Amino acid sequence: MGNVTLEHVTKRYADVTAVDDMNLDIADGEFVTLVGPSGCGKSTTLETMAGLTIPSEGTITIAGEDVTTRPPKDRDIAMVFQNIALFPHMDVHDNMSFGLRLRDFPGEEIDRRVERAAEILQIEDLVDRMPDELSGGQRQRVAIGRAIVREPAVFLMDEPLANLDAKLRVHMRTELQRLHKELDTTIIYVTHDQAEAMTMSDRIAVMNEGHLQQIAPPLVCYDQPANLFVAGFIGSPSMNFVEGRVESGEIATPGFDIAFDPGQVPELVAGDDVTVGVRPEDVYPAENAGELANPTRPIRARTDVLEPMGDQIFVYLVLRGEDASDAEAATTEAASARGADELLMSVEPDSDLAGDEDIEVVLDRRKIHVFDTETGDAVCHDILRSEAMGGEPAGPAGGS
Amino acid sequence: MASQTVEEGESDDGPIAQRAQEAIRNPGDAYQFLFYVVTAFFLVTTLFPFYWLLVLALTPGDRMTDIGLLPNGFNPASFVEMFQRLPFHVYMFNSIVIALTTTVIVLLVASFAGYAFGRLQFRGKTALLLVLLAISYFPPAAFIIPLFQFFTGNVEILTLPAVGTIESPNWFNTPGAMVTPFSALFLPLSIFILTTFYSQIPDGLEDAARVEGATRIGALFRVIIPLSAPGVATAGVLTFIGVYNEFFISFLMTDGQAQNWAPIVWGVVNYQGQYQAFYNLMAAASIVGVLPVVILVVMAQERIVSGLTAGALKE
Repeated sequence: MGNVTLEHVTKRYADVTAVDDMNLDIADGEFVTLVGPSGCGKSTTLETMAGLTIPSEGTITIAGEDVTTRPPKDRDIAMVFQNIALFPHMDVHDNMSFGLRLRDFPGEEIDRRVERAAEILQIEDLVDRMPDELSGGQRQRVAIGRAIVREPAVFLMDEPLANLDAKLRVHMRTELQRLHKELDTTIIYVTHDQAEAMTMSDRIAVMNEGHLQQIAPPLVCYDQPANLFVAGFIGSPSMNFVEGRVESGEIATPGFDIAFDPGQVPELVAGDDVTVGVRPEDVYPAENAGELANPTRPIRARTDVLEPMGDQIFVYLVLRGEDASDAEAATTEAASARGADELLMSVEPDSDLAGDEDIEVVLDRRKIHVFDTETGDAVCHDILRSEAMGGEPAGPAGGS
Repeated sequence: MASQTVEEGESDDGPIAQRAQEAIRNPGDAYQFLFYVVTAFFLVTTLFPFYWLLVLALTPGDRMTDIGLLPNGFNPASFVEMFQRLPFHVYMFNSIVIALTTTVIVLLVASFAGYAFGRLQFRGKTALLLVLLAISYFPPAAFIIPLFQFFTGNVEILTLPAVGTIESPNWFNTPGAMVTPFSALFLPLSIFILTTFYSQIPDGLEDAARVEGATRIGALFRVIIPLSAPGVATAGVLTFIGVYNEFFISFLMTDGQAQNWAPIVWGVVNYQGQYQAFYNLMAAASIVGVLPVVILVVMAQERIVSGLTAGALKE
């Protein structure tokens, strides 16, 4: 009953298009997160579902009914706002029962529902307080309580945790997941924080500049990003990108080459400009390469800055280019494409790496993502296909 | 006052010069002193007329000449006599009804207008606000004659061939003749006050109310207006006092009889007969007439202060 469908939803303002041809199909009981940088249209999308904004084009269906132009009150939705938006002139009980009172529910029913919601959210002691007597976390619970007493078909949450401090945010994250399990209602959640998106959602809808980039379960977005934007947005620290060109049997970049078997990966066509993406955790120092089934050839690099995080160390590497045989890489092109000669690597905290040290690193070839440089779309996510697991295909890699 | 003026002239090391030196060292003290001086000045200028009314009211009617700072005698009976001679309570009732009706109309209309001006974006908003401002500056004297003509049924609004002539209503001696122009006159001020207040209510609260099931108007009355209580109270009190104190239209639109909705102005003026003027009764009536406004301001002040603290707790 709580399924939500957006078809070709577009919202144009005088000078900008906030949402462009958005198509979403959200199943009943699903927890879907809209994520993207600020200004990407995710909040506008949520507002069109809430009815606070009427889309310029397209239709919105909630629970099987076309609600595109209906006012918010007739949509069977509840919403939790970023600024919490408790009514300052009402106590907690009145805040939570506001919607029920507007709908003329009988008094006992209101009290019963408020009590139950307060119990779920562990705010039974607070029902007589005014909002200004509550802490940030308590206010957010009340706001969520106000949403759940109505027992709507769909919960819309617009960055509900953004105004909380970091510790409380992590705590509320798990509470929300628990709540979702308990209520089993559709939740559509907007955030710019990819950690929230990754941890809570059944599916993530990544948006940028008004366009839906990818909608998929969190790990699919992480492991098989649909394009450069998703690859760069999901994951922290973000993926390394190196521009290069497909040649016969290898992808040549200014800093290194990656061999592949053209027979296994027909998507890679020689002469194409591609961007190679590799996550920091898939870069290894060459001495650890033994653990890796399918490493690339060692890549010469110099460590620059080390960021010890406690559980891991982020190492910024400056590529030194391949040996003289790969002449074009060394100077001109590398210098012109600033950033293309840098890699971020994450290593175990017990590593004895130091700054300004010449080392060699390898990449996990199973975790290399290739994108079309021009369109940004993913070309392939694994330049070894499963049947090629046996080892590195014949080619230049053997030389290292 | 003294220390400030003298300190420039005196240069000896007398006591005054010492005080001046002290004031220079502690300018805060001097400011404090000046504050008391200015406050005292305002209190005297505003309160003395009331004191003078009291002096007049307490002076017996046959000793109304050569009155000094103290009343010539003590005759509190004039506060009773004023009610015996004229039904002054009816005049007061008329005034309060007219002022309250106007206040309700003004607050209602100004709330909708303030909502539109303060919270919605639409073309021509600034131009409309400017027109409103311009209208509020029209001098009442410029339109009392046409208004009188209009409300005495002497204006033909339009002539329809089938129906005949539609004339303006004859509302002379009814509250409508006063409430209608008062509402129009006091609307701009209230609209400006409420526009400011309503525009400061966070959008999120209105959105929340609408998502919870309120219409836009429902959100206005359940959330925006309660949260703007200080603004609404201010607009309401200003309108009430303005109407209660109004002279021109109040004087013009009735024949001065209490049963014909004549307001306080007429009540006070009617103590002046053809051969005799009861100045002591006029003064007593004026004092009694002021009481509702005093009570209102005292009450509203509390409301405004409590409203302000409630407003401070918003996000």
